[in-house]
Formats: sequence, C-alpha cells, structure tokens
Amino acid sequence: MLPFFADLVMRTDEARREFETNAVVLDAVAHGMTIERYRKLLLELYHVVWHFNPVCAAAASRVPDAQREVRYYLYDHMHEESGHEQWVMNDLEAVGVGHAETRAHQPSAHTLALNGFNYWSADRRHPCSVLGMMYALEVIASVYGGTFASAIRESLLLQGERGVSFISSHATMDMDHMVTLRKLLNTVDDDAAREAIVESTLLNFHHITRVFEAV
Amino acid sequence: MNSDSRARLSGLMTRPYKYLRLEWNPELEALRVRTYVKPIQCYSLAGLAEMQRVLDDIEASPGLVKHLVLTSDVTGVFNFGGDLSLFVLLIRARDVESLRMYGRRCVDLVWWLENASNRGVHTTVLVQGDTLGGGLESVMPFHKVIFERSAQAGFPEVLFNLFPGMGAWNFVIRKAGFSIANEMILSGRLYTAEQLFRRHLVDVVVDDGDGDAAIEAVLNGVHPRLRGTLAALEARRAAAPITRETLMAIVDQWTEAALLLTDRDLRLMERLARAQVRKAGDITREGAVDEIKRLELDTAWGEERTGITEWSALG
Repeated sequence: MLPFFADLVMRTDEARREFETNAVVLDAVAHGMTIERYRKLLLELYHVVWHFNPVCAAAASRVPDAQREVRYYLYDHMHEESGHEQWVMNDLEAVGVGHAETRAHQPSAHTLALNGFNYWSADRRHPCSVLGMMYALEVIASVYGGTFASAIRESLLLQGERGVSFISSHATMDMDHMVTLRKLLNTVDDDAAREAIVESTLLNFHHITRVFEAV
Repeated sequence: MNSDSRARLSGLMTRPYKYLRLEWNPELEALRVRTYVKPIQCYSLAGLAEMQRVLDDIEASPGLVKHLVLTSDVTGVFNFGGDLSLFVLLIRARDVESLRMYGRRCVDLVWWLENASNRGVHTTVLVQGDTLGGGLESVMPFHKVIFERSAQAGFPEVLFNLFPGMGAWNFVIRKAGFSIANEMILSGRLYTAEQLFRRHLVDVVVDDGDGDAAIEAVLNGVHPRLRGTLAALEARRAAAPITRETLMAIVDQWTEAALLLTDRDLRLMERLARAQVRKAGDITREGAVDEIKRLELDTAWGEERTGITEWSALG
C-alpha cells in the first residue's frame, strides 16, 4: 500500500499542474510581473499569510488526541510562521505600498474564498484538513517560489531580497518543511482525515490559482 | 470487422481523454495517438495514466489494433520528458516511494512498447520538435522512428547530475551500441535528426512538414508483410534481449541518484523547468533546448560548431 504522502501527490497532481500551467502563472514564472500586478499579488498574499496561523490554531484546537502529533506539529509550525505577514508588508513597502494601505486593502473574492474554505474545513470537515492547505502552500513555495522570485527580481530590477524576501525565503525554508510534512502525513491513518486533506489540497490549489489569475 | 470488434473499437475510441486525441484508420487498422499535454508537453502523472489506459485497451482487444502511431499535437515540441516540477517536489520531500513509482510507471509504458510485436502491434513514432530526456527515451522502443529534419533531441539529465533512468541505456545500447550510449548519456549533448540518424537511433529523416506522409509510407510498407515483420522483430528481441528486471533495477538506481541531487542541481532543473514554461504556447520563444545550450555551452552543439568530431566526417 502506498504511503499517504505518495497517495496525496498522485491524487492532487492534476490540481498542482492546473496551477503550474495556468496562463497567468506560466507567464509570471517565466517573465515575472509588472510592478502593479506584483503589488496586487502581494496584497492578496498578505491576507493569506495573515490568516495562516489563525487557521492552524482553529484546526489545532479541534485535533483529537488520536492525531496529537498533528497538533504538536501545528504548534511548532505556527511558532515558525509567526510574523511572516510582516515580511509581506515589508516587501510591499519596498515596491511602494505603505503599511496603512496594506492593512486597508480589501482582499479579492478568491482570497476570501480561500481563507473561508480553510476555516470552514478545519471547523466543519476535519481539523487535519489544514495539512492540505499546508501541503499546497509549501509545494507552491518550494517548487515554484525560487523561480518566481528570480523572475520578479529580473523583471522589476530588484536588488537581492528587497521586495521578494517573503517568496524567496519561503522557497528555501519550505525545502525542510516538505520533508517534515511528508513524514507527518504518512502517520495519518484515519480515512476521514485523509479524505479531508486531499479535498483541502485540491481546493487550495484551485483558489490560489484563481488568486493569481485575478491580479 | 465483427460486431464484437466494433464494440471494442468504439470503447477504445470514445473513452474521454484530456491529454490525448485518438484517430482510427480502418484500412490499415492503425490507431494514431496524438499527445497534447498542454501547455507543457511532458510525461505528467495524468498523461502517463491516459497513455497506459490506451495501451491497456489495445491489449484487452488482441488483433484489433495492428499499428500504433504516436505523434505530438504541440507545435515544436514532441515531449520534454519527465515532469521536472514533480521531480523537484518529490526530491525536496525526500519521497523515495513516489519517485520510484513515477519511474516504474514510465517503464510500464516502455515495457509495453518493447512487447508490442508480441501483441501483434507494429509501432511507429513521429518526432516533429524538441524531445528531451524521458521524451527521447519514450521514442526509443518504437519499431520505426521518424524525425522531421528540424527536430532535436538529447539526454540532458547529466547536466543536473542525474541520468535518464527509464530505458535510455537499454535501448540506445541495443540500437546504436555502447560507445554511442556513453557519448549521448554522459555528455548531455543535443543532437539533430540527421546526427541521430547517423547513430542508427532514427530510422527515417524527412523534411519538415513531410512527417505525415512518412507515417503513411511506413504503414503502407509494413502492412502487407505485417506478420513477417512482427515475427522478425520478436526474433530481434530474442537476439538482443531487454528485460523488465533490468529496466526496473535501473529505475531504482535512478531514484537513489535523484535523492542525492543538491540544491544547485535542483536549481538547474528548475531553470530547465522555467525554460519549458517560457516556450509553452509560443515556439518562437527560447525554451528548454536553448537553456541546455546555455547550461553546457562548451559541449552542447560542439559538434555543429567545431565540426571536428568523427561523426561530421560521415557526411
């Protein structure tokens, strides 16, 4: 029998490819973005990142003892991700968007749908569904983050990490995260939890693709 | 064709495919499979699954399909080979099981093609654009390999410290010998259709645009003597056997090698993936082939540039 991580990769690979091969994403990874579109993307990402830990917390509060390893993993991960919305803010500031403007930004319907689904799923579907959100985000960061950051740097003539610190640093950090996440996912043996994780992965790839598409 | 065969054919042809288009030639009993893994034409898991489905259908109806033809519907690209983004993901996750499974699924296709003559199916492939790594590996087991003149191909894996692990060694050695397999796989160089023809890896080279006519010529030539041809090809297999065990053992070695890739290697792989993306949907843009040229400036196309290799002397 396949380990669950392998099963998850196989069952969600088309959704990953849908993201990867979306025309807007293709163009962004290959050629970068205009400054206006990059600002819009970061403003949307700010709201995704802001809600990341609260979604994890909501999920952690409902994880049963049978999956306590998931809960402990979420505690560690939340600690590690604390303050990362500030990194997005700093990148936004580097490309000309002040903190006040960032805070006042009204996220798009797609971002609201993404965050809304993740809260709903953690609360009503299965708390382990949060691992689907994490898997999708970490795949995007570790597989596409590095090339996307390079493309943005080249297209906007940014120096070093300035303006791309969030994307660039997550591309590196998430390499280790993927190994840890794989090991954790392989411990999940409850069918309902597994199905919720697969569903959440598919939905997260879908909504994130729409977020990119809309900027 | 009796009603049972008609029903089986109808089942085969009407199955919904996302990445394949099927065409049936009733006169020659030939099934043409056009691949269209948009926008990056590579062996994705879903694309592999669809291809395997077609082969399973053919196998389930012995005698129905006499010729299998594979072509690409993506202009300028036959196949970029493995799904590089998936490799990056699995390697970063240190996911040995999934990597091995991906390799084994590729070998399942290659092994089916290797056994095609035994199944009464003659196989022909037309390459009309870039074909790299696993894309070229997938071409090698076909009985007849046709390249249009502008097509270029190679095994670039060594450039990012890997090697082609799904049949390249076995089939290139069988067709062209050890020294050419060494040269191609260990150099990572790219080859023109003409250069591959001289190395006996391509059977027919035709001018651009003449590929379809070449397929027709091959099928019309083979069809009247199909049984004899297939029997001869079976004997060829006995004379120069390739075993499933060896193919699978090499996949295991490939998996282990993939897990040893460093960040630098993965970044090179990502550069190629990004280059594939650049070319997707716009063949006028530079793509993976151009990126390989940059990655291996001193050796890729060295033959073309310097003209000092033994092969150029062959004319």
